[in-house]
Amino acid sequence: MKRKDFLSSIVPLGVSFASIAKGREFIEDPDAPTVIPRYLKKGDTIGITCPAGFITELDIQSAVMKLKEWGFQVKVGNTVGKKNFTFGGTDEERRYDMQQMLDDNGISAILCARGGYGAIRIIDALDFKKFSKHPKWIIGFSDITVLHSHLNRNLRIATIHSKMCNSFPDDWSKAESEQIESIESINKCLTGEKMNYLITPNANNKTGLADGELVGGNLKTLESLAGSKSDISTKNKILFVEDTGEYLYSIDRMFWNLKRTGKLSGLKGLIIGGFKAKKDDEGEEFGKTVAEIVLEKISEYNYPVCFDFPVGHQKNNFALKCGVMHRLAVHLNECRLNEIR
Amino acid sequence: MIKIPPYLKKGDTIGITCPAGYMAAAKAMTCISTLQQWGFDVMVGKTLGSGSDNYFSGTDEDRRDELQAMLDDERIDAILFGRGGYGMGRIIDQLDFTRFKKKPKWLIGFSDITVLHCHLNRRLNIACMHAPMAAAFNDGEHKNEFIESLHKAITGKKANYKTAAHTFNRPGKASAELVGGNLSLLAHLCGTPSEIDTRNKLLFIEDIGEYIYNMDRMMYQLKRCGKLDQLAGLIVGGFTDVKDTERPFGRSVYETIKEIVADYDYPVCFGFPVSHEKVNYALKVGVHYTLNIGKKQVQLSEL
Repeated sequence: MKRKDFLSSIVPLGVSFASIAKGREFIEDPDAPTVIPRYLKKGDTIGITCPAGFITELDIQSAVMKLKEWGFQVKVGNTVGKKNFTFGGTDEERRYDMQQMLDDNGISAILCARGGYGAIRIIDALDFKKFSKHPKWIIGFSDITVLHSHLNRNLRIATIHSKMCNSFPDDWSKAESEQIESIESINKCLTGEKMNYLITPNANNKTGLADGELVGGNLKTLESLAGSKSDISTKNKILFVEDTGEYLYSIDRMFWNLKRTGKLSGLKGLIIGGFKAKKDDEGEEFGKTVAEIVLEKISEYNYPVCFDFPVGHQKNNFALKCGVMHRLAVHLNECRLNEIR
Repeated sequence: MIKIPPYLKKGDTIGITCPAGYMAAAKAMTCISTLQQWGFDVMVGKTLGSGSDNYFSGTDEDRRDELQAMLDDERIDAILFGRGGYGMGRIIDQLDFTRFKKKPKWLIGFSDITVLHCHLNRRLNIACMHAPMAAAFNDGEHKNEFIESLHKAITGKKANYKTAAHTFNRPGKASAELVGGNLSLLAHLCGTPSEIDTRNKLLFIEDIGEYIYNMDRMMYQLKRCGKLDQLAGLIVGGFTDVKDTERPFGRSVYETIKEIVADYDYPVCFGFPVSHEKVNYALKVGVHYTLNIGKKQVQLSEL
């Protein structure tokens, strides 16, 4: 077994986190420009931690090797290999690991090992004071939407929505090209490449052109943040959402939540990622497709809508910079999302 | 001040409609005959036993129009919903409560109907009833104490419910307005105009068929939305058909809830008979109750 870098050894003994004053770095204006963390160069260090579900050390090896191949150093957090039932350690262990990585100036980006469930249990105990002075890229999706949304709303710091360690294949020769490209797109994002996405047009799309900040993530997680201080502001923004394993009625209810919390009315554009719905129970057929569910909620709005964007719990899940300006151009025969600066 | 709709007397009319999921007419027959035996007239809407071939009891428009008609019809003195399921959230913003506000009537149901209860409590300040719906009368249960509690509640008898103490209970006594319902819906309504206000109130919650991690997340949502820190008391009902993930969550639902409210000191009781099962007492949302959690017994009495 490989020796791990135990992050706890960096902290001088005797420093208790409870003794450090909690900083509340709250930016009241949800439209204030976002801070873009420094892009990475070769030799920079990426930390891996588990703020939610657990993962074994073995299961992150493919990611560790790939990050090193890209020219980065890797610091594996204490929570990797830890297991407290479904979680990657107790709340306190996960919080501590994440806090160390947020505060460690030697770490230039934090890759969450996997999603699952658990970020919400530690978000309010995290101290973002040092992080907000020295922002770094936080990378992940699904349950990590909690962090994307919280950072976007409260700190106005950009983050990366992308695949995590558990999606890096053990055998790259057997991996599909879109999976490999999705993973490679994380490197592009991290090193500051201007991102461009070409999307296969979908018959349900609504055409149009929109410039706006990109925000979004997992729909169920966004719903669970509604009304809280991590609740996302979508006004004048391009919103992307994805989800998996939910019943159609539940997807419908979540889109009602978006609508009734005012998140659909002021959009510049809407991007619908993967929505693999759970099959209706017999006799409980919902009778509407995901596209119908979406379109009926936004029939009174005129912004462009793009379906089947390659983001979600699927092989083609391209890295997206949340909090960064993009242009969504939806035409009948061509659909593009381009980062603009 | 909250408005209490008039209680029912013999000869009054109860309307039955299905604002959400489909329900076969046969499943409401015992309910209808029981209501008649209680001395009420029953007016049944077309959404009950409709020709719908999908999940809903009718199109959004059908369901909304029927509920709207029953809200406005002065011959109808109360509305008992056939069943929940899913669908109230799709029509709530299209309902016009102008006439209903002037002449409120009891709206009776639970589960998906929580959307309506919350909306009435938050936007209109009118009391409503969280209680068994039509299907609960079936299988010989039409005379059980929970159906009987509905009868008493709609005719204006004050409730005095007693149940055995649970080891997780936090003893104490509190008198306050009662609000609550299905946890999934309470969480789902956060951030919307129908969002519940729980400050200085007694909150009751129940749910069915959810994963434990998801209930944990919903409790965190309530907590992070400020719904748990200023309660007068918390009443935890039944959480049934609970599901767990392949990697076990490691806590029961009650353990999860207990942990989340550990920071506060108001009285909390677990296992109160409000649920998707047979044990489901009628509770008046918006009405004042005293919750008295003793060492051996829990008492919830209407003021």
